[in-house]
Amino acid sequence: MKAQYIRGASLDVLLDPDAAAWRSVKSATLPLSGTPSALQPTAAVRTEFPEGSIGAIKQVSVAIAHNGGELAFRLEWSDASAESGAGGQDDVGFPDAAAILLPVRPGAPLMTMGAPGQPVNAWYWRADENGTGRQVTAQGLGTTETIDRESVKCRGIHRQSEWAVVIARHLRVKGNQQVAQIDVGTGTAFSIAIWEGGHRERAGIKSFALGALEGWHPLTLNRSS
Amino acid sequence: MTARKHQLAMVMDLNKCLGCHTCTVACKTLWSNGEGMDYMWFNTVNTMPGRGTPRDWEAMGGGFDARGNARPGRLPRRQEYGEAWKFNHDELYHGGNGDSRHLEIKGGTPEWGPNWDEDEGAGKFPNSYHFYLPRICNHCTHAACQAACPRQAIEKRESDGIVTVNEDRCRGYRFCQSACPYKKIYFNHQKKVAQKCIFCFPRIDEGVAPACARQCPGRLRFVGYRDDQNAPIYKLVDKWKVALPLHPEYGTEPNVFYVPPIGPASYGADGDIDESRPRVPDEYLVSLFGPKVLDALATVKAERERKRITGKSELMDLLIAYEWKSMFGGLDRDPSTVSVIQWTKKR
Ligand code: SF4
Ligand code: SF4
Repeated sequence: MKAQYIRGASLDVLLDPDAAAWRSVKSATLPLSGTPSALQPTAAVRTEFPEGSIGAIKQVSVAIAHNGGELAFRLEWSDASAESGAGGQDDVGFPDAAAILLPVRPGAPLMTMGAPGQPVNAWYWRADENGTGRQVTAQGLGTTETIDRESVKCRGIHRQSEWAVVIARHLRVKGNQQVAQIDVGTGTAFSIAIWEGGHRERAGIKSFALGALEGWHPLTLNRSS
Repeated sequence: MTARKHQLAMVMDLNKCLGCHTCTVACKTLWSNGEGMDYMWFNTVNTMPGRGTPRDWEAMGGGFDARGNARPGRLPRRQEYGEAWKFNHDELYHGGNGDSRHLEIKGGTPEWGPNWDEDEGAGKFPNSYHFYLPRICNHCTHAACQAACPRQAIEKRESDGIVTVNEDRCRGYRFCQSACPYKKIYFNHQKKVAQKCIFCFPRIDEGVAPACARQCPGRLRFVGYRDDQNAPIYKLVDKWKVALPLHPEYGTEPNVFYVPPIGPASYGADGDIDESRPRVPDEYLVSLFGPKVLDALATVKAERERKRITGKSELMDLLIAYEWKSMFGGLDRDPSTVSVIQWTKKR
């Protein structure tokens, strides 16, 4: 996919899922697959989520834009109920959530969430922390680590049985080897994960966008409109 | 036993529990009075037969089947624990209202709480019966909570087998909670991490027994290492075989053991005491502690009799606990001589 260059669009504008700027950006509908049960790290998780039961959200509409400094993903998917899970009122629910996954360096494996020495970087949004995103890194299943809660910005709106969520970050962040540094002109690759809180989806229990490039979707960025 | 050096354990003699909740309050005051912990009781004492805490926890699944496979389990709901009730203390003590007000629960009328069915028990008068069952985390040898966690955020200490949550690793996925068949691991909805009984490890590290044990006025909680052959735990569990885990069929190999309650005999139809019929039905105790409970009961009864007749019984002397400090397997340092005991990062 291509990240559309929008000259002069502020981060605030990009973060608004309803902003007029997004209307000029072409979106694509990506099919989502559930993660395999067999890949879940413990027997208790595999027992609770047998093969075929994972991945409640089947597709997501994606639009990608950048302003030369920041990269934003606008996701839209249907979900009849907004699950905000925790936040003090929670009982046994889990929040709806979404993440953009990026390889830190080319070749990082997607299916295993990276590998030792080959980290992947997630920009993570969850409904109960709407606004604050988490910058996450992983080098294999079960190794995710939140690095900071500042650099990833997001905003989600739920209406008419649909989530519209924008997740954004600066193309480059200072001095961190564990996260993706993106350059205009070079491009990268991405995947998307969505957790349906109403189906108790959390951790490795999620749907994700499987692309043609060893699982990744190629992403190009340039400065032409 | 595994390659682990030692395993700490607790034995509780159910013949002596008064249901006073001193243990529960000792624990609550020490460990679970922080943010998001209102509803958590790492130590509970429930009347048996009863629905327990959380309500009907024995039907929530988890643990392992006979072949060691993870049994499906589910998360307890907040109403099943019972919310922490808020009272009108302000109005009562500081409102200048005199006698015109009485103690009331604020908000809606509660429908359940951690001791809702206290002292109800079972059976028909004059053969009604009940006993108290104090419960903490069992610090299981085959801990289902630990096995379920996809992030290895639950650790079993190498030196003593205490099971703790590493809150820095925990991301609030709650698989541990579904997996623990005893429902003794809690979720902090504010901090979004799992929290549980820590067997007072910061006290243990200073040679002090857990607060629930040390403060128990009933003197029924023994503490110590499983393999310390000179201490009460080994004698009660392995030598005399009178202390048994609760629901051994859950497959987690608990390290909390119970001396089963003997209870009085039944009254016959003629109003006379019928020594052949125990008030607490054997089947009920078997359903809690497995078939070995019958031998344990027989041993305790026989030793009671021996003590009555001869005045001598190692087992009864142990259970009576003449020397309070002898109950703690050497962990008998006075906590007031320790400078700080605190909740550290790994809890
Ligand atoms: S009782 Fe539950 S929480 Fe405690 S160690 Fe066993 S499985 Fe884990
Ligand atoms: S403090 Fe001792 S006697 Fe009192 S309820 Fe707890 S275990 Fe029973």
